[in-house]
Amino acid sequence: MASAEEEEIKTFRDLQNEVILAGLCGKCGGCVSFCSADQLHALEMGEDELPRYTDEEKCLTCGICYMICPVTQDLDAEVQSRFGWEPPIGAHEAIASARAKDDQVRRVATDGGVVTALLMYLLDKHLIDAAIVSRRGSAFSREPMIATTREDLITAAGSHFAGSSHLEELGDRYTTYSPTMSAVRSLQSQYLRHVAMVGTPCQIRTVRKMQTLGILPAHLISYTIGLFCMENFSFDALAREKLEGKLHIDFEDIDKLNIKDDVIISLADGTTIRVPFEDVDDVARPACLACTDFSNEYADLSAGGLGSPDGYTTILMRTEKGSQLYSEALRQGYIEQAEFADPADLASEKTKMMAKVFAFARRKRERGEARLRDALSV
Amino acid sequence: MAEEVLVIGGGAAGIQAALDLADTGLKVHVVEKKPSIGGRMAQLDKTFPTNDCALCILAPKMAECSRHPNITLHTYSEVQEVTGSLGNFSVRVLKRPRFVNEDACTGCGDCFRKCPAKVPDEFDMSLRMREAIHMYFLQAVPAVATIDPERCLYLTKGRCGICAKICQAGAVNYDQQSQEITLDVGAIVVAVGFDPFDPAVLKQYGYGKYRNVITSMEYERLISASGPTGGHLLRLSDREPVKRLGFLQCVGSRSLQHHRFCSSVCCMYASKEAILANEHDPEVRSTIYYTDLRAAGKGFQEYTSRAERDYNVTYVRSRVAEIVQDEDENPVICFEDLVAGKPGRDTVDLAVLAVSLAPRRGAQELASVLGVELDDDNFIKTEPFSPLDTTRPGVFACGYCRGPADIPESVAQASGAAARAAEVIMGAAV
Repeated sequence: MASAEEEEIKTFRDLQNEVILAGLCGKCGGCVSFCSADQLHALEMGEDELPRYTDEEKCLTCGICYMICPVTQDLDAEVQSRFGWEPPIGAHEAIASARAKDDQVRRVATDGGVVTALLMYLLDKHLIDAAIVSRRGSAFSREPMIATTREDLITAAGSHFAGSSHLEELGDRYTTYSPTMSAVRSLQSQYLRHVAMVGTPCQIRTVRKMQTLGILPAHLISYTIGLFCMENFSFDALAREKLEGKLHIDFEDIDKLNIKDDVIISLADGTTIRVPFEDVDDVARPACLACTDFSNEYADLSAGGLGSPDGYTTILMRTEKGSQLYSEALRQGYIEQAEFADPADLASEKTKMMAKVFAFARRKRERGEARLRDALSV
Repeated sequence: MAEEVLVIGGGAAGIQAALDLADTGLKVHVVEKKPSIGGRMAQLDKTFPTNDCALCILAPKMAECSRHPNITLHTYSEVQEVTGSLGNFSVRVLKRPRFVNEDACTGCGDCFRKCPAKVPDEFDMSLRMREAIHMYFLQAVPAVATIDPERCLYLTKGRCGICAKICQAGAVNYDQQSQEITLDVGAIVVAVGFDPFDPAVLKQYGYGKYRNVITSMEYERLISASGPTGGHLLRLSDREPVKRLGFLQCVGSRSLQHHRFCSSVCCMYASKEAILANEHDPEVRSTIYYTDLRAAGKGFQEYTSRAERDYNVTYVRSRVAEIVQDEDENPVICFEDLVAGKPGRDTVDLAVLAVSLAPRRGAQELASVLGVELDDDNFIKTEPFSPLDTTRPGVFACGYCRGPADIPESVAQASGAAARAAEVIMGAAV
């Protein structure tokens, strides 16, 4: 069936040239996840966490990895129309600030623990069989995990009780860059039918592209919870050195890292340093700097600390499914909203939250677009 | 005079009519809309009142049909136009493209094991996902793959092409076109069967809203060893084993809003479904909420008595007002017990709606193509003393499309219709 059309199919070779070698690969793992789930076994994640050929001979040049890559523009129009995307930050129905009602969840959460609470609700009500989250492997790495029980979720959320150094990556404990998508590929063998996935914008976008095509393994994902994401960091030796020099701290003293309006570094001695994003750009993973999506524009719900008081999570409801999930979890006591005596205060808080999300979204979009322009002009 | 016969519909009735006709020496064409013959019976787990495995009875007949030198199967095809008259019909048939060469495909399954596009499986009542390239079901006849053109990535996007690349037989052909053929036949036997009623319109039962309220056709797939759960009777919400079952009778039948007729098989199939559940797990208790218990057939009354005596089945003459759901997603059946004269509420693990079986949704279009009349319920019109003759001479009807009937009766009618068709051809030939 070698037709002219087939010759034009862009394959992993093109992904290597256009995305990976160009430094734009966000390591979401979508391409590998698909290739493995379909048992084609042509791709794998390398030690550098970048996708690579396992065996190029096995590649059937189907071109699906290229289509579903969040960096390529393939399927953009279809994905946008299917998920009702509109400028500037995608579909959104409402915004709220909330926290988990369960103390245990709140204790282990970065912000309000809403994401964990929502997943607990979904598991309890058998609306999902599992949640794909990530847990900390060591102090500086995360690994994907399939959580099927409350305890799993606490493990994923609560990893900072386990070790001595509690460096948080971005935004929330779930934040990757755990190649969460690689967990998706193992789902099929586990007879799971409905799954929720928590992910960064690039990961959720890959899932949405897969769903637009109606392909495995994304057909199992029935809820997507997106995290606000400015960037993820890559703490190799060089990056550590840079950060230590810039902030005049010892890396070993870092107790916790959180992201809200800026990067908040808590040190073991109790002091807190707030660093503007611009100052940590050079330790951010380069691909993140070319990404334009802060607010996780295609998720059912987006979540993050930005805009909420300490101990609360900002939740942006995007799809009908997302809104329903939030309101049911609220009604059934899994989460609670911040109380305001005066409804006018609540309204003004919401406006402020929204404005912050918009501002961050714009900032990331501008940064990403500039970086992409640079990448193209080189 | 054409010494060939057309059978429309390749289900239990159509298969029997085709085999009978072919055995007389006549050439038979079977036109089946779906990618495989087998029809609704192939979807059933067991048959009443003997609890025989449906496919075990049907599959050998399907195979015989495909092997019979006098039978030509036209699957995935539809009748477009019928002209002429008794003895000399000319029938235009549209053969839809499978995008797989039927003669080359060996049915090995390599293609669908690698096809990435997932589609709800129609044969399994959408309780499972299949691939865009698929076999209609495991024992499909012909045993060849078919591509769903709306979901195939090659046909919609010009990408993928995995099935063509891995097919050892080179059977995949994305360029296949639909084909029109003309058949010259002396008589036509219509056996197009039924469609189950969609109970979503009956809001009071919560079908589509409550996950543990399902239809009887879905139940058949759920309890079938070849079904989506491998024959384990599990609730759809949490996949816990079912212990308490409720069957609601006359859902869409004997109703002034929907179908006025009694579907004639539901009391028996519900009894069978309840018995099967208990055979799977003796702890299962079933209640059948019926209007009138209709067990008119050989061995039927005894079957229901056995259900009560040996299989933990309770029959309650009642009318169900509504189904609600408790917080564990258990359906709560709210009914009026018509014998006791008081209302009742039963909590079950799974509620099964014994939906009425109705003429095919395209019955009127088909009738106008065939030039036959339908009765007020959209069944093919026949007369009491020529019960298999339609209003058009040379066109005969059998099975559910001419009126509610169970499998043995449909098959008996099929033999009768085959005899009538042979009679007019041979009689006219004399």
